[in-house]
Amino acid sequence: MTHAIKRGFIVVLGLLVLLSLPGFLWRPQQRSEVRSHYQTLMAPVFLVPGSSATQNRFNALVKELNRETPATHSLLRVEVKTTGQLVYTGRIQPGDTRPFIVVGFQNHHDGAQNILKQAKWFALAFNALQKTYKFNHFSAMGHSNGGLVLTLFMENSLDQRAVRANRLMTIATPFNLEEDDATVDTPLFKMLEAGRQRLPRQLVVYSIAGSKTFTGDGIVPFDSVNRGKYLFQDQVKGFTQITVTGANANHADLPENQQIVALIRQDLLS
Amino acid sequence: MTAVGVSDVQITTSRLGTALVALEVNCQRNRQVAAIRQALRLIFPIILLGSLADFIDQAWLQRTGYFYQTLHVATWVLQLKVLRQYLRLISAGTLGLAAILMAFAVSFYLVAPVTRQATNRLMAGMTAVISLKFFNVSRPSVLGLRAIKWASANLGLQGILMGILIGLLVGNSYRWFLVRHETTGLTGPFLLMSGWLLGTTALGLLWVTTQTVSLNAAFVSAIQWPFRLPHFILGLLGYSGLTSLYAWLGVLEPITPSGQTVATAQNLEAVLNHAGWQLPHPVTLHTVVDVYANFGGTGMLLGLVLAILLVHGHTQHHAVAWLSLVPTLGNFGAPLMVGLPVMLSPILGIPFLLAPLACISVSWLCLRLAWVPAVAYPLLTGTPGPLLAFLGTGGSWTALVLGLVNLALSTAIYYPFVKWHVQAQAQTAGEVADDDPRN
Repeated sequence: MTHAIKRGFIVVLGLLVLLSLPGFLWRPQQRSEVRSHYQTLMAPVFLVPGSSATQNRFNALVKELNRETPATHSLLRVEVKTTGQLVYTGRIQPGDTRPFIVVGFQNHHDGAQNILKQAKWFALAFNALQKTYKFNHFSAMGHSNGGLVLTLFMENSLDQRAVRANRLMTIATPFNLEEDDATVDTPLFKMLEAGRQRLPRQLVVYSIAGSKTFTGDGIVPFDSVNRGKYLFQDQVKGFTQITVTGANANHADLPENQQIVALIRQDLLS
Repeated sequence: MTAVGVSDVQITTSRLGTALVALEVNCQRNRQVAAIRQALRLIFPIILLGSLADFIDQAWLQRTGYFYQTLHVATWVLQLKVLRQYLRLISAGTLGLAAILMAFAVSFYLVAPVTRQATNRLMAGMTAVISLKFFNVSRPSVLGLRAIKWASANLGLQGILMGILIGLLVGNSYRWFLVRHETTGLTGPFLLMSGWLLGTTALGLLWVTTQTVSLNAAFVSAIQWPFRLPHFILGLLGYSGLTSLYAWLGVLEPITPSGQTVATAQNLEAVLNHAGWQLPHPVTLHTVVDVYANFGGTGMLLGLVLAILLVHGHTQHHAVAWLSLVPTLGNFGAPLMVGLPVMLSPILGIPFLLAPLACISVSWLCLRLAWVPAVAYPLLTGTPGPLLAFLGTGGSWTALVLGLVNLALSTAIYYPFVKWHVQAQAQTAGEVADDDPRN
């Protein structure tokens, strides 16, 4: 009897050793495994203004977003000069895991060529910030052409092995520029469409359209915003289109529109 | 060192042993406790099956599982998703209904000795189940006069204590009535049952109109409040003691808020982004309690299994220990809690409380003196207990040694109490295991 019981004890100890073996064998891979699923505490939210707007474009929006939230998030503004030099204003508070980073451009003019340049400049700023703050995931919001800058960046310049894009919100972004004729594809749209397969697979995208008249928000034609679906649908994890009407639904007022502020809170920051 | 200590304890405290055995025997002879123990024995196979399903799902089929990672399960298991759906359904149907099953069984076994009729016994059980459900119903569906939706959250392992309480309440009142009026035919049971249900429906409605959450949810959040206090008030020992106490009373799932704390995240960040192993927070709940005092689940139950296998005698202990071995090796403690049962047993309650406290003290000291590095890597579900610290520290041998020391320590603490428990069990054998309907 005693003998049998002692044997049971030994068997369980032996079982413990046996079950531990895979752990010992796996341990050399552990570090790379942990690293590959590691998410930094910090995940900044990038805000990119549209053409003719500077890095100060979103000051009021950030103030509004910081109202009613328990912890206020800091605001860092970066201006990329045409030479590629970066000028910082504001700062990221230590311990802030969701800071807002606004990236503006010295050359903030409209036009396909300028937008392509801005996307390159954005990548420059992004890489510098990523090196400084060592985040490995982020979200982004672009107003108007800012959404084009972000989409181009994600297609062409984002190193998806190092950094993961969580969510993207575009507000009144003209994926077919200001082209009124729905049958005409602009060269920029063709370029975006050709690169759509390089978009991050796990990205969740929200595209918001303002509707002042039945055809657009006064500046951007609705059809041009609507073209986002040809880029994101079936390419990213989720794509949601939202149309906002009512007061402050014209193009320039959209970022301060209360409905859109609520959408940013709900879909981008939650 | 431990073996000598144990035999010393046994010689010098035999009087303590006798007193504890007497206490355990008295407790087991108590009518209420006896009914609860019978009910626990009844649901043990169900809990065991559910725990096995949970163990396979979490340790083999999820990315955070030990076997999933180390045996590269994703590369060779087919239909992983279907398998997970299947196992989760099993778990929901077994562990997820534990509170309901307990309410039924406790009420049934309380009534069983006083009535010869199976209908009365079953009716007592069913009334308890229905009463429990009246307090776990979706509020908007009742108040809005829509189709009634039952709330099913918190009826699992967390709700076992609530199930027991409802079972005791219904069972005792049935018993009180049946002792005075032996009911036969159809009218008696009908009057008794409808009286009960009309009463509990009114109480349930009162609950729903005044409270926003179900009774079980309210209970869980009520017993959670001490855990929301700042860390320094309770400390490591306080947290562990309170968790053990709740588990001993029948809250078999941890109710502490899970998820990564800021300290844990900062530890990981420090290890991944800087050379060397310098942690900003070496002593936290995670680096001490989760890693060094949780082998086999809350209460160092792996030590209990080993202690049982060292003690000879009573075969039922051995049967339960062998049956519960697989989930216990993966730190799923529910089968052992229900099977022996450790729950509500005075003798086993003492080491259940003390063993983790001893392990925490030893580990805290080792961490403070920097003899072992603190864990920073995320822990994998189902890792064998002593290996938790080794993998959490990225392969520190001293951490592995500390894990083994803790296992030996907890086995030594459990050992004398298991002996006494076996003695007590031998004294009460045959007294309460009485579910022959002819009695």
